[in-house]
Amino acid sequence: MIQSPIITAFGLKKTYRGASKPAVDDLSFDVRQKEIFGLLGPNGAGKSTTLMMLCGLIKMDAGSMEVLGLDVRQNGAEVRRRIGVAPQEIALFPTMTAYENLVYFSRMYGLPGTAIRETVLEYLGVFGLADKSSQRVATFSGGMKRRLNLVAALLHRPQLLILDEPTSGVDVQSRRMILDYMRRLQAEGVTILYSSHLLDEAEKVCSRFVILDEGRRIAAGALAEILAANGGSDNLEQMFLHLTGRGVRD
Amino acid sequence: MKILATIWKESILLVRDLGGMSLIFLMPLALVIVMALIQDNSFEIMQESRLEVLFVDEDADALGQRIAQALQASPNIHLIKNLKGRPLTAKTAERLVRAGDYKAALIIPEKASITLRKKVEETAGGLFAHYGFGSVTSSVKASPPIDLQILFDPAIKPNYRQALTGAVEKMTTSVQATWLMDDIQRRLGEATGRGGKTIDFSEMIHVRQNDASSDDAGGMALNAVQHNVPAWSMFAMFFILFPLAGNFIKEREEGSMLRLRLISGSQSPVIAGKFLFYLGVCLLQLVLMIGVGLYVMPLFGLSKLALGANHVGIVLTGLAVAMAATGYGLLIAVYFITPQQALSFGAISVVILAAIGGVWVPVFAMPPIMQKLSPFSPLNWGLSAFNHLFLRSASTAAILPDLAKLLFFSCATLAASLLIHRSRIVL
Repeated sequence: MIQSPIITAFGLKKTYRGASKPAVDDLSFDVRQKEIFGLLGPNGAGKSTTLMMLCGLIKMDAGSMEVLGLDVRQNGAEVRRRIGVAPQEIALFPTMTAYENLVYFSRMYGLPGTAIRETVLEYLGVFGLADKSSQRVATFSGGMKRRLNLVAALLHRPQLLILDEPTSGVDVQSRRMILDYMRRLQAEGVTILYSSHLLDEAEKVCSRFVILDEGRRIAAGALAEILAANGGSDNLEQMFLHLTGRGVRD
Repeated sequence: MKILATIWKESILLVRDLGGMSLIFLMPLALVIVMALIQDNSFEIMQESRLEVLFVDEDADALGQRIAQALQASPNIHLIKNLKGRPLTAKTAERLVRAGDYKAALIIPEKASITLRKKVEETAGGLFAHYGFGSVTSSVKASPPIDLQILFDPAIKPNYRQALTGAVEKMTTSVQATWLMDDIQRRLGEATGRGGKTIDFSEMIHVRQNDASSDDAGGMALNAVQHNVPAWSMFAMFFILFPLAGNFIKEREEGSMLRLRLISGSQSPVIAGKFLFYLGVCLLQLVLMIGVGLYVMPLFGLSKLALGANHVGIVLTGLAVAMAATGYGLLIAVYFITPQQALSFGAISVVILAAIGGVWVPVFAMPPIMQKLSPFSPLNWGLSAFNHLFLRSASTAAILPDLAKLLFFSCATLAASLLIHRSRIVL
């Protein structure tokens, strides 16, 4: 059964002041409920700009976007209230402990005081960080930081989760834990917009994709559709190199 | 809730930043003590403290004693009659003043009292003879005036010279008048057979000195402690921009600011929480600095800080300065992109504002052009209010113009900070 779209983007365009060409140009895609949708592309493809427009933090020059049935231009604050975002950066306070970080973000999400401790401890346990809760984040490994970064986006139990390079710089075990948890969330009814340049990883977790290069959409759809439509490549990476060439992108 | 959460978070970040803690608490305390010690002597000179005067009494009689007595009673003059246990001579005094060791010497010549008595008798006798009560026994004009000598170091400040000359002239005039009146009374008593009557000249004209302060607490002169404690407290409060801007930009660079922007409705609480937290830190700085002025500076031989009588005014001024300092720190934090830009500009701008505002050198000691610039510095507004309160025990109404300027500055910088922060692209 085809699910109704939870994100509808049409004709998005954004050019930064002083830039010679658009960061995002005429981009359209839609994300359905309860799917893991891949927003893929190399560095500088326009993925982060698209995500920030989606969150209402950057104004689009042209086009329209609806998230959870809300026009992002008019209801940016309400959109942000309902979504969870794990940025590419480790967006945490390094001199605070894991527990302190999560308590702080819980309070900023407006969680009731009685539920904060329970929620924080639950997530620390799920992501294997319970025994490290009183350690400062600065002392964490890359994988631990990345897991904690994800937890901070989940505290208010969002309907839509946006993950920007969620497995960047992590070890195999942490990657497995994060990807498994993404599937678990999907099973629980959460929609995930997964942004990455790791095409092989995306193939494993995403049901549909939009692939960007230099701000423009170069392919979109389910894996089989994309591969079939682009010369019968064996995988996304092969298809991507076929479409864009082997020159570096940044 | 969100504001309290931000205050809680900021307190954790600051407590764990030992460098920042020492910068905003320990270094200002050290700075204010060192500056007060360095400037103590300069302020004494500036405030025209006691002038040491060598006193050579070759008369050793009533006139010399009366002049010495009167000068010793003056709080601004310290008479030195002996050096190394030996009475001063005119020759020694002259040598010491010429060498610049002392600024002035007063020499009462030998037999000055005897000569003055003789001149008084001659004057009174001449007066009585003029009105037919006797005959002139000798000529007043034949007796030369008594030659009291004041030696000055040519480098002495003109106001010192004027003050000492005036004091000596006043005293000699008083002695002359008293002795003359005594002699006239004695002669009238002899002529009429009645006893003398004491006349108090001071009852005729009374010169009253009042400090133009607003209440009975009076006022006091500016000294190193009274200047440096409020001045450097404000300097330290404005340096709050270091931890404030440092942490703010670090949060932006590390991404935690982005996460906060992605949390709906968190921007105003984040700014308000930071503002309130650092406002509290500024007030704590002020309390510590005042504590140093009250309890630590006297241990170093400096005077104790006098707070005046208007404690509510002090709290209001502290609050207004803290708000201005925090607003300025926030503006620097949101405007600049890198810590290097923010901290360099912030530090230099605060030093300039402090210099213009009269923190380094009091405004009255600045050249006229700088005195015209001074009213444009928020540190000057704060210092002016503190000086009104500490030195003149001014009422709250008297400091309202300064408080209004500080509050306006705070509101303007806070509003600008919010606008800039909201308009920033976070990528």
